[in-house]
Amino acid sequence: MKKDYWRRLALSTTCLVTLAGFSSAAIAQEQVELVFRQFDPPTETEGLVAAIEKWNAANPDIQVRMETMSGADTLAQLAREVPAGAGPDIQHLAFVWTRDLARSDLLLELDPLIAAEPPGAGLDDFLALDLATLDGKVYGVPWTSDTFAMAYRPDLLEGADLEFPDTWEDLATASEALTTGDGQFGFCFPAGSSPDSGMWMLVNYYLWSNGSTLIDETAPGQWEIVATVEDLTATMTYFNDFFASGSAPESLITVNSWGDPELVGGLGRGDCAITFFPPQTFRAAEAQADVPLMTAAIPAGSVKRISHLGGRALGINPNTEHPEEAWAFVQYLLGPDTFATYNQYPAQKSLVAELDFPESEAGYVEMMPVAQTYERYISSPIAVSSMTALVNREFGAVFSGQRSPEEASKAILTELQDLLARGQN
Amino acid sequence: MTTPLPDAPAARLARPWGARLEPYALVLPAMAVLAFFFAGPAIYNVALAFQDLSLFDLGKEGRWVGFDNFAEVLSDPSTGQALYNTAVPLTAVTVVIRLVLGLLLALLLNATVFRRWRLGWLVRSLVLIPWVTPPVVAVAAWKWLLDARYGAVNQLLVGTGLIEQGIPFLAKTSTVWGAVETMLIWRELPFVVITFLAALQSIPSELREAARIDGANGWQIETRIVLPLLKPVIAVVTLLTTIWTFNNFVYVWLATRGGPGDYTQVLATQMYTTSFVDYRMGTGAAIGVVMSVIMFVFALVYFFVIFREKGEK
Repeated sequence: MKKDYWRRLALSTTCLVTLAGFSSAAIAQEQVELVFRQFDPPTETEGLVAAIEKWNAANPDIQVRMETMSGADTLAQLAREVPAGAGPDIQHLAFVWTRDLARSDLLLELDPLIAAEPPGAGLDDFLALDLATLDGKVYGVPWTSDTFAMAYRPDLLEGADLEFPDTWEDLATASEALTTGDGQFGFCFPAGSSPDSGMWMLVNYYLWSNGSTLIDETAPGQWEIVATVEDLTATMTYFNDFFASGSAPESLITVNSWGDPELVGGLGRGDCAITFFPPQTFRAAEAQADVPLMTAAIPAGSVKRISHLGGRALGINPNTEHPEEAWAFVQYLLGPDTFATYNQYPAQKSLVAELDFPESEAGYVEMMPVAQTYERYISSPIAVSSMTALVNREFGAVFSGQRSPEEASKAILTELQDLLARGQN
Repeated sequence: MTTPLPDAPAARLARPWGARLEPYALVLPAMAVLAFFFAGPAIYNVALAFQDLSLFDLGKEGRWVGFDNFAEVLSDPSTGQALYNTAVPLTAVTVVIRLVLGLLLALLLNATVFRRWRLGWLVRSLVLIPWVTPPVVAVAAWKWLLDARYGAVNQLLVGTGLIEQGIPFLAKTSTVWGAVETMLIWRELPFVVITFLAALQSIPSELREAARIDGANGWQIETRIVLPLLKPVIAVVTLLTTIWTFNNFVYVWLATRGGPGDYTQVLATQMYTTSFVDYRMGTGAAIGVVMSVIMFVFALVYFFVIFREKGEK
């Protein structure tokens, strides 16, 4: 009798444990875990982490895990993972990547999801949507937007009795006046030769503002290299003169990122009087500096004043098993709740209009309306990354004295023609 | 009385199939692992080198273009410059310096004074510090040390009055290779030192004593007894360090990204930029194949020279 009791107890325990196992498995199956991969440095994602924690608290059935990968590695990693059936559910994308990825079916077409539940105030409200569109289909949703502005130390300019320079020529003059010879330089900029160096931005601002561009569609489907040897030589000579005159330190020839301590810390310490930053880097510099910093518009050229409109988009992996849940999370990231903690400018006109810009960020307010995307480069038959690498390499060759501006300009044009011919074939 | 050996083929035939297959079955897992992790990617790389394929189309088959990628790589003047940079400043200079310094340090560390004071373990541990430092950390630390304004090296040079202003070592064509070579040698020297030290410690002390009794001085003992005995180890270390350095990507990429301009572009960084910046996987793979062929030929010639010398003896 006693033996039978124990047998029954064992049997019922086994049944209970099995039932509990099945039910917990069922619960686990009901809960969806999404992976969101982004590439901003941890110093800039505190607000994003807070927003994701808020989502996870409010959505116990759709939990999101954030992964961080450096921007330089993200694209290649995605190109390897997606064809193998892997990769994150939601991907943070640079504006310039979206079409390349879409062209190779590495992003989910979002039109059905958009049709079922349109994002924000509708697609027309998004800036730079053309960069996320291929053959009329949307593959990414612009999320954040930014541009560059000049960042400077007002106390150093006041000390030299200078107004902030309005044109490129004024900048060169002011830079010399602000160079003191005891470690203070007038203008600091990332002059490195790396394929991802920030030099690329300045080169294009200078060319565009003086009426030139590297490549353009001169007639429908007809692409031509527009910049001439003279245009490029003038641009190279202009920036090289900062080193030749000693108003920029030679050490900048190794600096590739605008977020480099030499620039961020240099502005705070007063080693550099003027530099140029995107908003997040400016805020990081402000946080490190003991004195107030300011921003101003990018100098004007002979034709106009211009910078580029950059930003990030959100895309969904075609391999995801949970596209609806991923879309719901994307919608959340696009919403005002996220931007309440995430310290970025949204890519929706209605949300940008609601922003309250601090006085120190006046440079961005001035530049945003005149900023232009890299659309013409992205649509061209040449990969933007190839153009960037080529331009940065040849400018570096001039800065380090390997080639004259004329030689380097000719090298750029020859290689651009080769790249164009290859792209068109 | 001796037992006659069984007739070998007959004995082999008499063994059951299972027993005959056993050795192959035992090595099969190792062969499978090698095939999966080594031969597979290598064959895939060679196949890629004959295709026109974008980074974004890795899951698809590219367009087969025969030897076009190789023709393009070999006719590009920048390949010649990158090959020179890889072979001379990156590989030849650093291998020679490592061998010479490594041998001198190993001889120093093998001195009886360290053993007598029981300091051998301490000195060996200190020598290993660069080797256990990850290359990324080592290069970052050296970049800080060499910083023109705040780096310790420049502060020392300015402080001692040797120079007036800090030198941007990585920005100047006159100093950039020296800086990269310094980082590489600092990080990779311990391997050479420890290998030579182990070889030195395996040489019986009786040989030295016998030579000393026969009237040989210290120089003669090192050059005529020790060095010839170290020759096989030197040969292997030379081969290994040459191949590792020739194929190395980390030091140049982290220190200069191939700059300023393209002054320090080497084959490995050129392969990376072609594949992951220009997105041209086929051409990048062709550069990789060219590098492998060069190293294969180098190893063949090297072994031919070494074994011919042994054969002559």
